[in-house]
Amino acid sequence: MRPLAAIAPALFAALCVLAPQTARAHATEQGFVLLLPTELYTAAGTAAVALTVLLVAFLPARAARSPFRPLALWRVRPMPGRGLVNAAATLLLLALIAAGWWGPRDPLENPLTLGVWTVWWVALVTLQGVLGDIWRWLNPFALPAALAARLGSGARRPWPRALGRWPGVVVFVAFAGFLMADPAPADPARLALAAAGYFAAVMLGAFLFGPRFVLSAEGIALAMRAYGRMGIFGRHRGRVALGLWGWKIAGARAPGLSLAVLPLVLLACGSFDGLNETFWWLAQLGINPLEFPGRSAVIWQNLVGLSLMNLALPLAFALTIGGGLWLAGRPVGWGQAFRLLAPSVLPIALGYHVAHYLTSFLVEGQYVLGVLSDPFHLGWDLLGLGHHHVTTGFFNTRDTVRLIFLTQAGAIVLGHVLAVLLAHALAVRLFGSSPRAALAQAPLAAFMVGYTLFGLWLLASPRGL
Amino acid sequence: MTDKTDRKLLTRRGALKTVAAGGAAAASLPLWARFTEAQTSAPIRIGFQQHVTGIGAAYGRWYGRTTEAAAKLINEMGGINGRPVEIVAEDDGTDPKRGAEVVEKFANQHKVDVVFGTLFSHVVMGSAPRAGELKMPYYVVSEGHHVASGALNRYTLQPGITDVKSQVRAMAPFVLGNLGKKVTMIFPDYAFGHDHRDFFTEAVREGGGEVVAHIAIPPTETSFTRYFPKIPRETEVLYHVMVGPAVLTFVKELGEFFGPSRPEMFGFIDSLEAVDIASPGLEFLEGTYFWEGNPRYAQPDQSPYDRFFRERVGVDENGASVTDPRDVSTYSHMFGCWETLFVIKQAMEACGYRGPQDRPALIEATEAITEMPHSNEHPQGPKIFNGRTHQVFGVQYISRVEDRRLNVKHVAPIEDGLYPDEVDYTTQPL
Repeated sequence: MRPLAAIAPALFAALCVLAPQTARAHATEQGFVLLLPTELYTAAGTAAVALTVLLVAFLPARAARSPFRPLALWRVRPMPGRGLVNAAATLLLLALIAAGWWGPRDPLENPLTLGVWTVWWVALVTLQGVLGDIWRWLNPFALPAALAARLGSGARRPWPRALGRWPGVVVFVAFAGFLMADPAPADPARLALAAAGYFAAVMLGAFLFGPRFVLSAEGIALAMRAYGRMGIFGRHRGRVALGLWGWKIAGARAPGLSLAVLPLVLLACGSFDGLNETFWWLAQLGINPLEFPGRSAVIWQNLVGLSLMNLALPLAFALTIGGGLWLAGRPVGWGQAFRLLAPSVLPIALGYHVAHYLTSFLVEGQYVLGVLSDPFHLGWDLLGLGHHHVTTGFFNTRDTVRLIFLTQAGAIVLGHVLAVLLAHALAVRLFGSSPRAALAQAPLAAFMVGYTLFGLWLLASPRGL
Repeated sequence: MTDKTDRKLLTRRGALKTVAAGGAAAASLPLWARFTEAQTSAPIRIGFQQHVTGIGAAYGRWYGRTTEAAAKLINEMGGINGRPVEIVAEDDGTDPKRGAEVVEKFANQHKVDVVFGTLFSHVVMGSAPRAGELKMPYYVVSEGHHVASGALNRYTLQPGITDVKSQVRAMAPFVLGNLGKKVTMIFPDYAFGHDHRDFFTEAVREGGGEVVAHIAIPPTETSFTRYFPKIPRETEVLYHVMVGPAVLTFVKELGEFFGPSRPEMFGFIDSLEAVDIASPGLEFLEGTYFWEGNPRYAQPDQSPYDRFFRERVGVDENGASVTDPRDVSTYSHMFGCWETLFVIKQAMEACGYRGPQDRPALIEATEAITEMPHSNEHPQGPKIFNGRTHQVFGVQYISRVEDRRLNVKHVAPIEDGLYPDEVDYTTQPL
């Protein structure tokens, strides 16, 4: 077996993460998925989440928060060098933009396309959610934005505080729109323009309005911070601490409304990113999935779908919270309950992310290795890959397809189980532990069980692009 | 923005590497020294309209690999007219609208000499009009009937792969003579399936057989059991051309429906291109027949040309990647990229092609090509090019699934796939 063939399964096993809109059309893989007993898997996964709901309902209140109690490790020490790492990240982004503009036209060979869509959007977002806030170190906008803010401090305009984080939420939805509806988001030159435009906009905003603009409107950092809050590492009482995914949310104060809506937006965008490829969705559009007319034929359809999803999901969540409060006799205000409980969907959003991108990551990860091995196309072989060919052979056997499918389904089910536990821990904080409080949680629990069903259905559905 | 980079890209892909795998003497010379006999050593730039992303990506990957191998070989042979060949790849997203934009980009930005390599028919249909307007020679590798039907233009040609009409017609004599005269056709209910329905029904009628039923399946269908009772009892041959993710389900359910007593079955490998025939669920196909554009499994009487082709592209004797035996290639189609590049080479050399001003001459030189002998340049088999219809005709293979592999049972001669001209592009102005 050649090195790369050996690496591919290892990659898969080790990372369990995984990539964007390229290389998705693997009819064989889907063919095997259609032959798997997916109804059985779906029923089992949904039952697992439902059982978790029942289990936590009977747990004493004390136990609700115990899974989220962190383990304090060493005392937080100032870690030098963050500025340097930030600067390196900025330089790397600028180099990648240059590579996007001047580099290879093939999206699977261009460092910018692979860097943005495979390394950052798939792998780093996943690591951020799994580990914690690594973006603080890797954020390429942080340092130049701080410099721009300092440069502009002489003629500072006020950034309206009332806007909260809403501009950032809108920016993230716009980013999702680019990802899902643009005809060619993987085109290196086009992506270079988009990335450079975003970079310039952040700098200009920071220059004109100062750091408050960045906090409020830099949607990428906002989304990354949201995922970072569910990672296992964090700080607790002056120490670095380790805990179950979501422990920082379980102990945090309720965020403002805009920050509370963000996790729902992340989940809505992630859900639509799978839905828009299904036979079902294409049938709604009257499109033959076997003869998909290309992304340029579904631009407005995807934008409308994405917008509807982003309206419908937060609305459904709001009604769920409202219903719970109504059942329990309104022990607290709706706003407080909504703001405290909304972040509990973050593990679901991350589970979707992992499940959705796993297959393309397995393919595009190989191209990333190729670029890392020979970043400047000089014929180097830094990683010792030899003359390698990218393979998609793991989509061609039933066993590997089943392993991939079960990993995806596992990510979705695990995300929902964590969300149920987290929502329960938060609800106990909010409502106490009376039988009434249990009633207040019932609609949200039902919502999460239903969403498990939806997620697993999505995974098992035939896709047309 | 691209000149320097694209060359780098090619360097990376090995297409311009001077070091030949065989270690020929010339390989030790630097590139410039090997091409100095030409008036200019500037490369001939060939725009490769590739399905890197979108619905055609699985095919695009193998088209890319074959193209890379052919370009490398051409350069080892001394290039075209003494000039190296440079492949400039652009992703079209398997999107007709982007396809037209890519053709434009090739002409105005990348300044390529010709464009080649498009597979999906709707992208060809979307791109060819722009190629015609720009007078850009556009060599497609699509097997659609769109070229020979007269729907396109003087600048669009398909010299490296046969079209579906010819393929389907060439099957009729074997099917009627060996499998049965009463045929039921099952096909997806859209253009691809309709082509098969129309061409094969006509050929069966001409051959003295009868199509006893047409069963059109909606493209979004993922379970087929309810369609099978529509297969008439008198059916001797079942002709199937299902495609898409539900193909494996189709085969499995068909097996469950018929059990051991099935009619003869004949299908197109398009259904299972890049799918391992030994996949679980496909056991029912044992003993059934398939059209193959190029035999996926190396046959006992394998030609030296096929052996050479496999070696250069990196495909093993089972039609899979040499680096991963599970990675099955699109063997029935990808040879078209290889052969098309050699046709471009032949035509450019025939007309002494120097640059874009010679594009009309290049079209005429391609139209003047007639016979293409079985060779390293044409490893799939001998071919005849029809300059009036811009379509090539070649032998077709019929294979039987035996012990989970495909064994060739019949090679349909070129004549079986011929049909009367439907257009004469040479009457259109250049």
